[in-house]
Amino acid sequence: MLQYLIILLDDTSVSFCHYDNVKKERRLIGLDDMKTGILFAMKENLNIQFVYPDYGLPQEYNDLIETIDHTKIMPAGNGTGADVFVVEGCHTLKDMDFVKDCVYVVRTDRTELFKEHEVISAALEKTARLNVVITDMEKFTEDDFVAYSSVLASLSKELERLYAGGKSPQLNILTDRMMLDKMNNCCAGDANITLAPDGKFYICPAFYLAGDDEDYGLGKVKFSIGDLQTGLDIKNPQLYRLDYAPLCRNCDACQCKRCVWLNRKTTYELNTPSHEQCVVAHLERNASRELLAAIRKHGAFLPQQEIKEIDYLDPFDKKDEW
Amino acid sequence: MEKKLIGQVTVEEKNEIQTLFERRNGLNELAKILTADNSELYEKLVKDLGETGTKFQSWWDRMAEKYQWESTESGSWEINFDTCEIYLVTN
Amino acid sequence: MKNLKTKSSEWRGELAKSITFIVTKDCQLACKYCYLVGKNTKERMSWEVAKQAIDYILGHEDDFKEESVIWDFIGGEPFLEIDLIDRICDYLKTEMFKRNHHWFNSYRFSFSTNGINYHTEKVQNFIKKNREHLSIGITIDGTRRKHDMNRIWKTPEMEQGIMPKPKDERGSYDDVVKNIPLWLEQFPSAGTKVTISSADLPYICESVLHLYSLGIHEVNINCVFENVWKDGDDALLEEQLMQLADAIIDGGYYKDYACSFFSESIGKPMDKVLENNNWCGAGRMLAVDANGIFYPCTRFAQYSLRDKQAWVIGNVHDGIDKNRLRPFLTLDRCTQSPQECIDCEVASGCAWCQGENYDAAYTNTIFQRSTAICKMHKARVRANNYYWNKLFRKLELEGEREEYERNKPKSNEITC
Repeated sequence: MLQYLIILLDDTSVSFCHYDNVKKERRLIGLDDMKTGILFAMKENLNIQFVYPDYGLPQEYNDLIETIDHTKIMPAGNGTGADVFVVEGCHTLKDMDFVKDCVYVVRTDRTELFKEHEVISAALEKTARLNVVITDMEKFTEDDFVAYSSVLASLSKELERLYAGGKSPQLNILTDRMMLDKMNNCCAGDANITLAPDGKFYICPAFYLAGDDEDYGLGKVKFSIGDLQTGLDIKNPQLYRLDYAPLCRNCDACQCKRCVWLNRKTTYELNTPSHEQCVVAHLERNASRELLAAIRKHGAFLPQQEIKEIDYLDPFDKKDEW
Repeated sequence: MEKKLIGQVTVEEKNEIQTLFERRNGLNELAKILTADNSELYEKLVKDLGETGTKFQSWWDRMAEKYQWESTESGSWEINFDTCEIYLVTN
Repeated sequence: MKNLKTKSSEWRGELAKSITFIVTKDCQLACKYCYLVGKNTKERMSWEVAKQAIDYILGHEDDFKEESVIWDFIGGEPFLEIDLIDRICDYLKTEMFKRNHHWFNSYRFSFSTNGINYHTEKVQNFIKKNREHLSIGITIDGTRRKHDMNRIWKTPEMEQGIMPKPKDERGSYDDVVKNIPLWLEQFPSAGTKVTISSADLPYICESVLHLYSLGIHEVNINCVFENVWKDGDDALLEEQLMQLADAIIDGGYYKDYACSFFSESIGKPMDKVLENNNWCGAGRMLAVDANGIFYPCTRFAQYSLRDKQAWVIGNVHDGIDKNRLRPFLTLDRCTQSPQECIDCEVASGCAWCQGENYDAAYTNTIFQRSTAICKMHKARVRANNYYWNKLFRKLELEGEREEYERNKPKSNEITC
């Protein structure tokens, strides 16, 4: 069921997820389109998330935004008032002045993450929540899986220390799974959709920002799911739902993004994750399990929660047992 | 030609002879295209043909001993790979 | 005592990997129902590409763990490339043996041919050379009028998109039927595959009986999966199948002949959990074309697709991208079926083709089942019920039911 409308305010709006936004040319969403989008969200009872570019908006846009309850997603360093700040690269965190109670999204490739993860450790106690988004997950190799495991173990040590000291920082790749007892994925196309500056709806910003000729196989990946005039028209909508994802509906890596964009890019099917996405999610899941046990050594913690020990990293390898 | 059902082997036993049967057929058809010019492969083939033939006969001997199948001078045994049944075939 | 054997009626179907070489996209015929929309005379597989494909496949034994392999050759018309095929098969035999590959103990070479070149010296020499490992199906559609209605000779003008007038069409029945005796002499238990589209419906009964009269004991027959069916076609199919049922039962053909339209297992509801497997083998198969591109099945190659782009899973240089096989290997019946199929009271035996599903889907997905065949399946089920009710009653009245159960001919369900 739809719950969120993401509004990309500009073609250069910051990427807060796995996709890259390479667009340099500004193209602000039309004011009328934004009004219609807000009206759509109000009538459909959707929470709005505005995604900002790295420049200041005209005042009439700011005024319009304030007419509705919303969340602001902004590039770090651009203005104030964000609910979510997006940081490009781990290194940017080094000299960051953190705003308390704000959520920070750090987008990093695997090479930098493996090298600079101490920066993330250091940032954990400075912010309410840190989301790490790996921008090249589809390129993970077997060696990268090993390296990522070590990074997770190292970050877990710091989290354990903070939790033992009475703090409760959140790091999406380690603490989310500890708190979850059911799937909590991105849900693009099911719980959220995106309104782009061209006045059309998309499954998520990635499907809008893809190049006009971008093609990973099976044809162009850029497609819209309706517009403000004619409304939503999602073809095969069931394929965005968990119960129509054979691998995922049997999985308990609840914190996994289950990114439909990456799915489309790597396996061609929106409902089927790649080996890399599954293994990364399971490394996180298993590290969360160990972190949970480690925190419990210092006292009672989430007593109802149980993360079972499993002997696989990719549910695909267990498909014959479903 | 007369066929008489005289016994049955287990699936595992059937699999063993079916693999040998397939291998022997494969070797025989490979023999049609390999020449002695390719000496290394040719020698490997000749050796394998001998070994597979021996294993093949050994299976029938072992099974005949185990199950005590009926036999005749001019007859032959035949296995149905679908059913694992053994037949005595006489002309 | 000499020791013999008999062959299995169905060769390790479930345990075998099927690997298809699309050796040519050319064919002497231009069958009207052919799903290969992109046939041409230019895309012929070279020896280099074939060798690279074989080297890749045999060099990755860990990725191909199936006990057996069916090396399948299709076209167009595969026997147009008999020289290449002969070279490929020789290389396969040699390499499987040289590499101690486990498939040397369990392989077949399989062909679906239009039969026109079957008698030629080259094809016959090939057959003699590989006799114990061959499975060859010749397609003959039935009576002359049924066969010639669809299976017509290609003309040079067709390549320019100019279709002959009906009076100028030249059927291929005579060119095929002349080779049937030789084929059956060499492969007595061989079956033929008959394809039914809308225009063929009135000739089903006569065609199956005609094929029986030619000595073909197994007729595998199916309605095309494409959305070609007109109003009333289901009634026509039902009527034809009931006529056929009467002819098979009254003529006693049921004792020695099989027709895949009639099967005891079809027309039952299916359990959502226990009977949730995918019907189609796409993804568990592998196809390679003249450019060295790998596909999950030939139906995903561009020449098979009307409206969608080819579903490429790799190539002979870079190998197979396993991520692109994951949807195929996790796909199940219910996830791709609309609710009406899941709830269907006569669901069993209702087939689909994954490639046609993909081609006909609203989006680029294999998770949307095409239901174009629905009414035809239901008509088949009604006629099938009639067939078994009539046959079993006859057998019971004649006290032959038990004997029939012991000796009934086996028919293989068609899978694409």
